[in-house]
Amino acid sequence: MIGARILLVDDEVVFTKNMAKLLTNRGYVVTPVNSGDSAIRELEENDFDVVVLDLKMPGMDGITTLKEIKKLGLFTETLILTGHGAIDTALEATKLGAYDYLTKPCEIDELVAKIEGAWEKKDDAQKDDIQEKIKKVVESPSSAFSLFGKKKSKK
Amino acid sequence: MEGREAIHTSTHDAHIEELRERRKHYYARFFRRFALLIIAFFLVPLFLVGWGINTYYTKFATARMTNSFHALVDNHRKIIELFLGERSSKLHLTAHTHSRDYLAQVSNLAHVFEMINLEQSSITDLGVIDEHGRHLAYIGPYDLMDKNYTNAFWFKEVMKKGLYISDMFMGFRKIPHFIMAVTRTENGETWILRATINTEVFRSLVENVTIGKTGEVYLLNQQGIFQTSPRFRGKIMEKSPFPVESFHEGTRIRILDADDQKHIPRQIVAQTWLKEPHWMLVVKQDYSEAFSDVNHANRATLVFLLLSAIATLIVTVIITKHMVAVIRRRDAEADQLSKQLMQAGKLASVGELSAGVAHEINNPLAIILTERQILLDLVGQTPSLDEEFKKELVESLSQVDVQVQRCKRITHNLLRFSRRTTSVIETVNLNEFLREVIELVEREAKTSGITFIPELEEGLPPLLTDPSQLQQVFLNLITNAVDAHDGKPYGSIHISTRSDDENEGVEVVFADTGSGISQKNLEKVFDPFFTTKPVGKGTGLGLSICYSIIKRLGGDVSVQSELDKGTVFTIFLPYSPPSDLQESMNEELEV
Ligand SMILES: Nc1ncnc2c1ncn2[C@@H]1O[C@H](COP(=O)(O)OP(=O)(O)O)[C@@H](O)[C@H]1O
Ligand SMILES: [Mg+2]
Repeated sequence: MIGARILLVDDEVVFTKNMAKLLTNRGYVVTPVNSGDSAIRELEENDFDVVVLDLKMPGMDGITTLKEIKKLGLFTETLILTGHGAIDTALEATKLGAYDYLTKPCEIDELVAKIEGAWEKKDDAQKDDIQEKIKKVVESPSSAFSLFGKKKSKK
Repeated sequence: MEGREAIHTSTHDAHIEELRERRKHYYARFFRRFALLIIAFFLVPLFLVGWGINTYYTKFATARMTNSFHALVDNHRKIIELFLGERSSKLHLTAHTHSRDYLAQVSNLAHVFEMINLEQSSITDLGVIDEHGRHLAYIGPYDLMDKNYTNAFWFKEVMKKGLYISDMFMGFRKIPHFIMAVTRTENGETWILRATINTEVFRSLVENVTIGKTGEVYLLNQQGIFQTSPRFRGKIMEKSPFPVESFHEGTRIRILDADDQKHIPRQIVAQTWLKEPHWMLVVKQDYSEAFSDVNHANRATLVFLLLSAIATLIVTVIITKHMVAVIRRRDAEADQLSKQLMQAGKLASVGELSAGVAHEINNPLAIILTERQILLDLVGQTPSLDEEFKKELVESLSQVDVQVQRCKRITHNLLRFSRRTTSVIETVNLNEFLREVIELVEREAKTSGITFIPELEEGLPPLLTDPSQLQQVFLNLITNAVDAHDGKPYGSIHISTRSDDENEGVEVVFADTGSGISQKNLEKVFDPFFTTKPVGKGTGLGLSICYSIIKRLGGDVSVQSELDKGTVFTIFLPYSPPSDLQESMNEELEV
């Protein structure tokens, strides 16, 4: 079975490169990017299960990026990486809809566990969504056109 | 580093010493100035008023005194003039109601003499004299019938004026007396009725007057001869030392200064001239007696002024002392406050700095961890590796992990120190809480020979406070106490609690038997990064974190220590935290 598709967002190039390698070793499909902007672009073009997002970045910071991601209206879950002192911001991020947060530096096993959790949640949400839609189709077949479209296209 | 620290401290101490010295001077100067000012403001008006009252009263009293002297002299003059007038009018009446021939008969003259002296013996003799100065008749104790008065002074005067009153003179009788003579012109011939006045009655009239202890009354003629005996210094018919002025109308009042030898004190003198004869009536009194009332009042004023001045001085000293004490207290409070502000400022700036540093360090640490993990992955993926090599590699990679974790702890400490922690206020049973904390550290400390001795007060009221922060404080203090026993085989840590209802809080005391802290270091233990521990062991942050946590919880912490004996940290915690903390907590909950 193929692992989750992960978008890794951090301004530290070496960090994303290493992390990508480690996560790939563990069976994930990883796309590393180094800024909030490229993360949004990537999300618009491709499907991802989990976004791992650093809060402290130059340019567009983590919180803004998170808000942008939420605007896209995807099922994709977001996992926050933060320094220890920024727990307040991390809590704010979870309130904005992030799945959970991790303090840097973190063990790879911890990260993997959280990714798994996020992925599961995303999958569940998607399955629920599909079932609902099937129900709707059964009740009113006219909405069948939008059945397999992106969540976004519904709006 | 050590040296620089030392120099810095010594200049700091010198600065404080200098400041203290300056303050002391300032207080002394303030005291002097303020006291002088009050004295000037109180005493100057006081003396002005005193002086005014005194001057005014003296003037007023002198005027009254002078007036009364005036009246006295006038009165006496009237009495004397009345006496003399009565005598002269009797003579006048006699001369004009009886003819010369009638009076020239001795029996008739004797009858008149008797009639005049009927009520009071006012004359001692009576004679009728013709215009040639010969006696026509005479009644009296002396035989004067042969006397011829043609050349006598009084004879000429009376012939000229019609009435004559002589000065006192000895005459033939050798006792002071004076005569009175009137003329009558009958059928172109002038004759004279002459009488000798009873001087006893007259003199008693003047001499018996006494005024106070030093007052006297006497008469002087124009030559300054006493016409009556004065009470002091002199006798009738003697020359008075008193300079006589020429005749003047009205009454004059003078003050005579004391003579050089002080025989005669300062005197007040009133004088007035009689019309006939020209005698001067003198009333005299020692100034001090006459003005004793004034002097008395002046003395009273003086005493009053003196008392007021003394009272003012005492009040001034008390007030000024009080003011200086108030200022001194204010200064001390301000010092205390600025010290606290300085401490808070230090903590804040260090906090900001360390937060930045910690953040920056976290990123490379994260990378190092990923690199380590990559290596570990590689080892796992390469089964052909030599076992020995593999073991070495894994070991050293685990050491990398240990060191990274250590760095992480340090940065986390720094961040925890700097960040505005979200307080979670809960009800805490302090005694139970402390027992848990002690249990936590006891096992570790046992190996170093340290025993914990809790002395927890029963029935301690529960605290409303942040347990996780409090735990950090207690752990830091206990860790320090344990560290302080380094090199000692055994020791103890007393932990006691005591409720302080007066201040609405609880006192927690940590007393250890460790190394103690030197006097020099005692002031610095709460400073961030102050540590005496070897590099790698101490961060110097423990106590400054404790300090800021306790302050934030509305409490207080102080330290006492004796080198080689031990150290006592005393913590005060309020029953409930300051309201701003509770508010900020509520806000955070609402978000
Ligand atoms: N109980 C104690 N007994 C003796 N010295 C102490 C004690 N507590 C603190 N100190 C002194 O205060 C210094 C600062 O303590 P702290 O701020 O906790 O930093 P650290 O423990 O990392 O050195 C310590 O290095 C030590 O010299
Ligand atoms: Mg310490």
